Amino acid sequence: MRTRFGVSALAVGIIGALCAAFFAVIAGQVSSPRPVAAQSSAPPITRQANGKPDFSGIWQANNTANWDLVTHEAMPARVMQTGVQGLSPVPAAPMLALGAVGGVPPGVGVVEGDVIPYKPEALQKKQDNFEHWLDRDPEIRCYQPGVPRAMYMPYPFQILHGTNKIMMVFEYANAQRTIHLDQVEPYPNDSWMGHSVGRWDGDTLVVDVTSQIDKTWFDRAGDFHSDALHVVERYRMLSRDAIWYAATIEDPNVFTRPWTIAMPLYRRLEPNAQLMDYRCIEMVEELLYGHLRKQPLVRTWEGQTMTVSVERKVPPPDVLYER
Amino acid sequence: MRTTARFPMYVGALIAAVTLAIAWEGTTVAAQQRAAAPAAKAPRTPWGAPDLQGIWNTNTAVPFERPREYGTRAMMTEAEHAKALAELQERNQRPGRDSRTVGGQPGIGTEKDVARAYNEFWFGDKPTRLSYRTSMIINPEDGRMPAYTPEAARRIADKRDFLAALLQGTSGGRPGPVSPRRAERSPDYNLDRINRADGPEDRGGPERCLGDNLPVTMGTGTFGGVMQLVQSPDSVSIYYDVGQGQGFAWVIPITNRPHLPKSLQLYHGDAIARWEGDTLMVDVTNFSDETNFRGSRENLHLIQRFRRVDANTLQMEITAEDPTTWTAPWMAVQELERADEKTTLVLEGGCHEGNYGLLGMLLNTRAAEKAFAEGTGPDPATQDNATGGGGDN
Repeated sequence: MRTRFGVSALAVGIIGALCAAFFAVIAGQVSSPRPVAAQSSAPPITRQANGKPDFSGIWQANNTANWDLVTHEAMPARVMQTGVQGLSPVPAAPMLALGAVGGVPPGVGVVEGDVIPYKPEALQKKQDNFEHWLDRDPEIRCYQPGVPRAMYMPYPFQILHGTNKIMMVFEYANAQRTIHLDQVEPYPNDSWMGHSVGRWDGDTLVVDVTSQIDKTWFDRAGDFHSDALHVVERYRMLSRDAIWYAATIEDPNVFTRPWTIAMPLYRRLEPNAQLMDYRCIEMVEELLYGHLRKQPLVRTWEGQTMTVSVERKVPPPDVLYER
Repeated sequence: MRTTARFPMYVGALIAAVTLAIAWEGTTVAAQQRAAAPAAKAPRTPWGAPDLQGIWNTNTAVPFERPREYGTRAMMTEAEHAKALAELQERNQRPGRDSRTVGGQPGIGTEKDVARAYNEFWFGDKPTRLSYRTSMIINPEDGRMPAYTPEAARRIADKRDFLAALLQGTSGGRPGPVSPRRAERSPDYNLDRINRADGPEDRGGPERCLGDNLPVTMGTGTFGGVMQLVQSPDSVSIYYDVGQGQGFAWVIPITNRPHLPKSLQLYHGDAIARWEGDTLMVDVTNFSDETNFRGSRENLHLIQRFRRVDANTLQMEITAEDPTTWTAPWMAVQELERADEKTTLVLEGGCHEGNYGLLGMLLNTRAAEKAFAEGTGPDPATQDNATGGGGDN
């Protein structure tokens, strides 16, 4: 909705804040789900031998948080360009042929208060990321998504709740993370999926996530963080088939205060639910390396009503190696 | 992945495997005898299943295929073991790769030396123990891979010829002019390191971060690998940290469902597991033609068994068949050692995210072509960018 107006970043910020305030009313209290499990007819949650909830299963978020963590209107495309009137931008060339399939679905926010408390200079960078989404979003390049983004991408993931460790395996990019319930040494460097240490707070699993690299994002709207990111996740069974997931995000380099997202994660109830391959490394080779082929491969696409032309560029070395 | 290993870091390991039989691990005769005893006290999970969980790796060397001198004997005698262990220890003392020669001359600074890329530092962590097993393969009884079917032998030879043609006239290939076959496509879905970099498809699977092949046997030493196994009541997950960041997660459901339709090809196959007593039996089908385990592609049928031999030993048994590749099924066994979970962290791979190597190889080749066209550099077709340097010793 922000690029629709095609105006200065300041105005975008003001309008964004107004929209956020408006939608916050609609969004309500994101962290206060109704206690489904309390209903007497609901089957009890699965528990482990030690009495703690067992989070094992195949799960998936069902929201638009991966598009934008805060409340957002539908957009014709994530990348737009000026149309015939200032208020009517049109999908930019790389999105145009996709039509309604290439649009951004609307959604109420998952952020408490519906505002991400950016520092002023960081807000500028977020806007810049938004404008350059196609060049910058690590998801486009099949990079591991980091935490919390991995938890609400539009792909299933499996939790294996073991004795001393919990493993999560994500269909997207075969990403994985281990939550250590036992005592382990600190992680020696930064990583894409971070280092997770879990503990119990009653029936809630609390996970401390550190050692994350600064290259992951939170969503397709350019929301970002630095390597000072510290995430505290809380997993609570709402019912046998739903987890209430909350994550508090702290990064003093980027945000003025900690902020929290929350959402349900739903069990995939299909009897034949299983993780399959979304092995995207190979899928993005043309995107990442096509401009370095001896003979360029993808140059144009011809449809009945449209020809889409692709001009490959070799960026300067610092950009080439930093992307 | 090891079958397609043309990465320089594997070269050392492969040479070691072939010449000194040290690349893979096994167990002692004593452990083997324990393995034969009923595992009455196999550890249990809190929900009562056999507990296979832990971080597992090995520092005990055993070759995958048996050196011919042992014939059909699966185990060494004490005298043979003492001799082989002494050879292993002697080998560990040698200066290794840094002292290799090229054409009888010191290799330092030559094209081959540079192509090897990894100096001895990267191979610093050597196996210290040697199995009594003469090979991981226990069937066929000579401990060696069964013969290829004529069809498989032909396709493998076709590929070998293609690879050799593209090396012709370079320091890593046979003498001769630049081959006209440089303009050809690879005869298979390429996972080898071709001496060409027209696009990413010419580079090896590991260079493209596509080296996450099943089945995995663990190596020893610096690049040996480690696996973390976590269980829930209805699934098992293994994270393999192998091959310099080719790490991958393998989720194995414990279920009675049938396999997916044959037409569905999955890179890690369709795994279905069940308990056979205290052994987890994993049946894997539906592999993809983009996988390659010792010549086998989409028709691989893999059965892997995991069981706890004792508190500190996990035994993996691999049974593989592919009538389009091998004339007989084969079976291999490997024992893994339990690592201290407090101090052993299994690190994330991140191969693709940090893959500057593939980018650099393509960029550099385009630059070399430009230099050649401008008369300021050699023809890239006459340079060896595939063999990882090799060397005389």
